[in-house]
Amino acid sequence: MRWVGPTVVVAALLVPLIPAGGYQQYVVQVATFVLINAAAALAWDIQARTGQLSLAPAAFFGLGAYAYTMAALRGVPLPVAFLLGPLVAGAVSLGLGVVTLRLHGLYFAIATLAFAEVVKVIFKELPLDLTGGAVGLTAPPLLGGHQTGLYYLGLCVLLLVVAASLAIRHSRLHYAFTAIRQGELTARVLGVPVVRTKLLAFALSAALTGMVGAYATSRLFFVIPEDTFGIGLSVTALATAIFGGVYTTAGPVLGAIILRSLEEGLRLVLREGYLAVYGVILMLVILYLPGGLVSLWNRRSRDAAGGD
Amino acid sequence: MAGTEGMAQREQVRIGISLPLTGPASASGKAAEAGYRLALDEINKAGGVLGRRLQIFIEDDGNLPAKAVPIFTKFVTVDRVHAITGIFGSAVGVSIVGPAKLHEPLIAMLGAASPLVERGFEGYKYLFHYHPWAYHNMEAVFSFMEFVRTGTGASTIAMLYEDGPFGSAGIGDTRAELIKRGFDVPFMESFKSGSGDFTALLSRAKRHPVDVLFWIGFDADALPIAVQSREVGFKPRLIFGTPASWPVGYEGNPVARDVAGMAGWTSASPLPASKEFVKKYQAKYGGLTEEYMAPMGFVTLTTLAAAMNKAGTTDRDRVAAELARTDADTPLGKLRFKPSRLSPSVYQGFDSDLWMVFQFREGRRVPVWPKSMAAGPLAWRWR
Repeated sequence: MRWVGPTVVVAALLVPLIPAGGYQQYVVQVATFVLINAAAALAWDIQARTGQLSLAPAAFFGLGAYAYTMAALRGVPLPVAFLLGPLVAGAVSLGLGVVTLRLHGLYFAIATLAFAEVVKVIFKELPLDLTGGAVGLTAPPLLGGHQTGLYYLGLCVLLLVVAASLAIRHSRLHYAFTAIRQGELTARVLGVPVVRTKLLAFALSAALTGMVGAYATSRLFFVIPEDTFGIGLSVTALATAIFGGVYTTAGPVLGAIILRSLEEGLRLVLREGYLAVYGVILMLVILYLPGGLVSLWNRRSRDAAGGD
Repeated sequence: MAGTEGMAQREQVRIGISLPLTGPASASGKAAEAGYRLALDEINKAGGVLGRRLQIFIEDDGNLPAKAVPIFTKFVTVDRVHAITGIFGSAVGVSIVGPAKLHEPLIAMLGAASPLVERGFEGYKYLFHYHPWAYHNMEAVFSFMEFVRTGTGASTIAMLYEDGPFGSAGIGDTRAELIKRGFDVPFMESFKSGSGDFTALLSRAKRHPVDVLFWIGFDADALPIAVQSREVGFKPRLIFGTPASWPVGYEGNPVARDVAGMAGWTSASPLPASKEFVKKYQAKYGGLTEEYMAPMGFVTLTTLAAAMNKAGTTDRDRVAAELARTDADTPLGKLRFKPSRLSPSVYQGFDSDLWMVFQFREGRRVPVWPKSMAAGPLAWRWR
C-alpha cells in the first residue's frame, strides 16, 4: 500500500492539468478548498492524538489569518506576513496550553471553546484601524491571486502538514502521544513528560492551523471576526477527521476529499435537500465505521494478510 | 448531439444566481428565489430576453465563502452566463471580489451592507449593487428617530445590538450621531444573537427610564426581547427593532402589538408596482410574503433583463450602460443607479429611501413612516 501516498500526491499535482473542459477552473477552486479542509483537519488530528478534544482550531485559524492580513496591510512583504500566521498562532497556543492542558476531557474542550470566543470578541473590540472591528479587513492575495499558483501553494501547505504528521508517526513522539491518550498515569510511569508532550502537540497543531488560516485568507481576500473565528471551522475540522479516521495521516485527508466532493456532487445533482443526504451519509459512517473510512482500508489489509 | 445541445445552450440568455438556500440566511435566500422565479415566468411569458428564452442557474451558497467562490467560478467558466446575480451577505460578497476581478462578469448584486464589500469592489466597472449599504440603513434610522422625537417628544434611547458584524458595524458612530442629534443614550450593550435570555440585560436597561428601546439583531431575538421586557418591567414607550427578517407568525403574537420594525417593503405598501407584485405573487404561490428579499429578487432580474433588451445584446459593456440608465418604478420604490459613495466605480441602487417603518397591529404590519408610505399613525402607547 506504499504506492497510495505518492499516487495521491501525483494526482493532486495534476489537478490543474486535468482536461476537464469548461469545468477545469471550477475543479481547481473546489480542490483548493479541499486542501484547506484537509490541512485544517489533519492539523487538528495531530493534537487529538494526545487524547485532547480541542475546540480552538477556529481561534488559531483566525489568528493566522489576522496576523497575515494585518502585517501585509502594514507593508510587511507578503511571504514574511504569511510566515507570521503560524508563528503568532503557535506562540499564543503555548500560553493557552500552559494554563489549560492540565484540564481533561470536556473541561479542556469547554476551555478551548471559550478561548475561541474570547479571541473573536477581542478582535472585534480592538481599535478599528488595527483590526477593522466587527466589519473586518480585506487581505492582499498571495502570488497576485493567480489561481493555479495558489492551488499549488495550498498543496504545499497540506504537504507540510502531512510531513509533520508523518514525522510524528515515525518518531518516539507517536508512542508518547498514544501512551498519553490511553492513560496519562501510565504514560508518566513510562517516563513520558505528559504536560510538555501535550504542549508540543498543541502548539504544533496550532501553528499548522495558523498557517492554514493565513493561506485561506490569502485565497479569500478578507477577514471578518464572525467568519474567520467561526465555530464552524472547528466543527468541520473535527468532523472531517472523524469521518476519515482519527489518529492517522490518511484519514483527515481522505475525509476532506470525500466530504467536500460529496457535498459538491450532491448539490449539483440533487439541488434540493442535498444537505440531508450528506448528513445521513456522515451519520452512517460515524455509526458503522467508528474508526472512520480508513478503517475499511485497514480491515481489507488485515484480510489480505490473512491476519486477525 | 453534444453539438446540438451546445447550440441550444448558446441560444438562451443565461443568468447565474447564487443564494443562501440553506443555513442561517436561508429565509432571505428562499424569499429572493421566489422573487427570481416569479420574474423569470414574467420575462419568458413576455418573449424572453432578446427574443430568446431566459435561463437561470440557481445555486445554494449556504452563505459560505468556501461554497460561493467555486459557484461563482462555475457560473463564469462552466455555465458561461451573461450576468451573475443573487449574492447575499457580506462574507460572500467580499469573497467573490477576487474571482470577479479575474473574470470581470456583469454582477447585479442583491445585497451586502458591509463597507468591506463596497471598498473591495473599488475600481470594478460592472457591479450594480441593489441593496442599501449599512450607512444608508443608519441614515434611515436617524430620520425615523427624528420623526419620533418631533411627533412625541421622545429624547432618550436604550440601544441593544448583536455582537456580529450586522449589529456591531459602526455602532459607536451610530450612538455618537444620535447624541449629536440631541438624543440621550444612557444605555448601550451588546448581546449574543439567539441566546434567548435577555432578562439580565433588560433588567440593567430598566434602571434607565428611556422613551425608545432600539435593538439591532436577528429574527430569533425579536420575541424574547418583547416578552422579557414585560417580564422585568422595562417599559420604554416604543420598541424598535431592525432584524433582516421577523419570526414567522410574529404578527399574530399579542406581545408583538405596536412593536416597530424597519423593512425594505411590506405587502401593505401603497405603491402601484407593489400592489401589482403582490397580485402576481399570490397568483403564483397562493399566499403572501412579508420578506423584502422577494421583491428585491424580482426587481433585480426584471431590471437586468430589461437592460439586456434595451441594449439589444448581451455584451457586458452595453448592458452595463443600459442598466446604469435604469429609471424604474418598482415594488420597492423608484430605482435609479448612481455612483456608490465609498467606491464611485460601483453603481448603487436603493439607498436610505428604501426603508419604511411599520408597527405590528391587529395581526399585520402597518406602515407608519415615512408619511408617503404610512397607512396609519405611529402608536406611542407600548407598555
